[in-house]
Amino acid sequence: MLSDPTAVSKTALLRIMRNILYRIRGLVIKELLQLRRDKLLLGFLILGPLLELLLMGGMTGGGVRNLPLAVVDLDRSRASRELVARLDQTDELLVRAYGESVAQAEEWMQSGQVGVIVAIPPGYGASLTDPLQSAEVQVIADGSSYVVSNVAIGAAENVAAEIVRDIAARYGLASALHRPVGANAPTGPVELRFIARFNAALDGQPGAITMMLGLIVYQVTLIIAAQSFTRERELGTLEQLRVTPLGRVELMAGKAIPTLVVGLVDALLMIGVIVAWFDIPLRGSLPLLLLLTVPFVLVQIGWGTLISLISRTQQQAMLFVFALAMLEIACSGFLVPAGSLPEAMRVLSRFSSVQHYMAIVRGVMLRGAGLGVLWSPGLALGGIALAVMTLAWLRLWVGLDADSLRQRLRAAGHIRWRERRVVRRTKKPKLSREPAYVDVRVEIDD
Amino acid sequence: MSISRFISVLVKEYRHILREPRTLWMVFLSPAFVLVALSTIFISGSGRIHLTLWDQDRTPLSRQFVAALSSDDDFSISYASGYEEIDALLARRSVDAVLVIPTGFAHTIQKGDSAPVQVILDGVDTFVAGQATGSLLGHAADFGLELNRQFSTPPPPLQIRAQSAYLPEASERESMIPGLIPIVFSLPVMAAALALARERESGSLESLVATPVRGLEYLGGKLIAYVTAALVGLLPVWLTAVLLFGVPFRGSSLLLVALTIDFLLASVGMALFIGNLTRSQQTATVIALFVFFVPGFFLTGMIDPLDTTDLASTAISYALPSTHFVTICRAIFLKGANLVEVWRPALALLALSVAWVGLGALTFKKRIY
Repeated sequence: MLSDPTAVSKTALLRIMRNILYRIRGLVIKELLQLRRDKLLLGFLILGPLLELLLMGGMTGGGVRNLPLAVVDLDRSRASRELVARLDQTDELLVRAYGESVAQAEEWMQSGQVGVIVAIPPGYGASLTDPLQSAEVQVIADGSSYVVSNVAIGAAENVAAEIVRDIAARYGLASALHRPVGANAPTGPVELRFIARFNAALDGQPGAITMMLGLIVYQVTLIIAAQSFTRERELGTLEQLRVTPLGRVELMAGKAIPTLVVGLVDALLMIGVIVAWFDIPLRGSLPLLLLLTVPFVLVQIGWGTLISLISRTQQQAMLFVFALAMLEIACSGFLVPAGSLPEAMRVLSRFSSVQHYMAIVRGVMLRGAGLGVLWSPGLALGGIALAVMTLAWLRLWVGLDADSLRQRLRAAGHIRWRERRVVRRTKKPKLSREPAYVDVRVEIDD
Repeated sequence: MSISRFISVLVKEYRHILREPRTLWMVFLSPAFVLVALSTIFISGSGRIHLTLWDQDRTPLSRQFVAALSSDDDFSISYASGYEEIDALLARRSVDAVLVIPTGFAHTIQKGDSAPVQVILDGVDTFVAGQATGSLLGHAADFGLELNRQFSTPPPPLQIRAQSAYLPEASERESMIPGLIPIVFSLPVMAAALALARERESGSLESLVATPVRGLEYLGGKLIAYVTAALVGLLPVWLTAVLLFGVPFRGSSLLLVALTIDFLLASVGMALFIGNLTRSQQTATVIALFVFFVPGFFLTGMIDPLDTTDLASTAISYALPSTHFVTICRAIFLKGANLVEVWRPALALLALSVAWVGLGALTFKKRIY
């Protein structure tokens, strides 16, 4: 019977595939063994995210609360005391001190003891109820913190509006003011009624905690990947890895799989804590969220591999990681909402994996979005992952050494720049950093 | 404690930093680089909020209201009709707020009543939601004033004269940059944690064990080497803040240098403690990231000021050196504070540096794992 050539090639292909998988498995087992050996590292990789989330989740996202307020009450009337009480009752402000003069309160602000000063002028109570006069209260906020001054002034204005409304209700002042438009409405002709979708109480915690989830998965996976090759290089085990039959793709896959597992386990555990401990609903589907976490972690593995190939020591790799992480933070919409970034950064933010992942996490968890909505950030993550992975693969193709790119470029440009280099060499002799291999042959006479 | 042994450790550490050009650049210049990256995102003025309108009323008055909303650059406005469309927009996250002007809007206002207008916010990003709320309230008030302008009306019974001290323009960028300085210094600080872990991992600690160097001399040498190396990075950071971004510098530069040393002693001390705990650089990096990275943004009062009435969280925040340095940087740059005015955070940093270095020296043992 004639053998079918396609069948032969199929079995050959299968054998090749099996060999590749076998080699990858070997590397994965080695990585996992290494991870298991370092108990402190393993503990921090698995429990660290949970601890950090539990510790910080409860502390953040409450918004700005209890800003220290200094009151300078020069009126000392019932009305001024009522104003102070109302300011104290707000979530944002807390009366900390009573000053004799504005100058004294400003000294407190200078030394950072108070963040806001409210100065009530003499005659405040009288002019408040006098329909022909307007009472004026001075609010000085600490502008050295943008958030403090914004929130404090906003809170004071809200209190003032409340008081105006109450006066209008009590004395019928609005009609006395002869307002032709919206005369029965002291707050103005338009009343805005706010409804917050997905988060009715406008609680900051869900937003902050989902952000933490993204950032923690980000830092853990990026740092493991970034030290993969650097660690081997520094400890000298890279030499051993180079003599194994592992190909480039196999090497990358073997290094990537343990990181991917750690990233997914961390994400899953943290989602569990978020839902069970912080009572934040998981409105969408968990498998979808985990599925879309995969490209996010792959992007970090790509960046990490790239960093670990270009840095000579783990210290350098860590510095690169931190610098990259700061760039990602800048683009992620965490410090400044993505919509109000400057034009150049907005373009850059399309390549920020954290930004896309945040859209996915918040979409699935808080908005209950499905793949119909999330395909675009998911696709973006996939695209970034592919691009970064390709870059890492190309860098691996150049060579495993931290300096191999420079060496290759030097070799390529050598002929063209030879003359110039010779001139420079003769001017200033430079010691080569490369070790010199001397071929020593010993001949023994007998 | 012997000075000559301490100095030899110091020289050895400097050689480690200077030997690798890449590490050198990263330690000196990365803080300034990161500061540029983080600072460029703050542009003055509020950003554009994506607002979708559904005008059910379609009267001249409602159009006037819409015109009042689009009078400046606060909103980028799109139009929709029907709640299904609005729900889809919100789910797709393509809109920050939706405003529904009901039928009878003009009629109610002309009667002299207040017309209700529905605003649906995307509550997930509370920061954007707050921005949208404030901006919409402001525009609604302006619209009311505009309608009232043709009639002579006495001023409202209570007015707030608000003023933002130190930065009258309340510029977000200028107030954020001094607050970012502590976090950009975490790069050289974290490098110190790895420097300690590296000795253990690469086995060079073994040769150190054989020398007469004592724990405190060894840790002190590392501490001073990294504090001085990071301190050099202060100059590019200062130049970036003052010259590139035009942040006012009102305090004394000598005080800033002195308190930066104070801060670096505390945080490098903390980093050395971390490095001391760990056997591998990878573990040291992971722990250092957990301590410096996410908490550096969330717990130091850099963005939202601390709620000092919550004792538990305040205690954790105060254990981080960055918390105190955020206060100090803002005070020196923007308030022009002198030492008397920042003695509290300065003393806290000093106490932290003593505590962390002391803990490091206590736990450090010249042993080989």
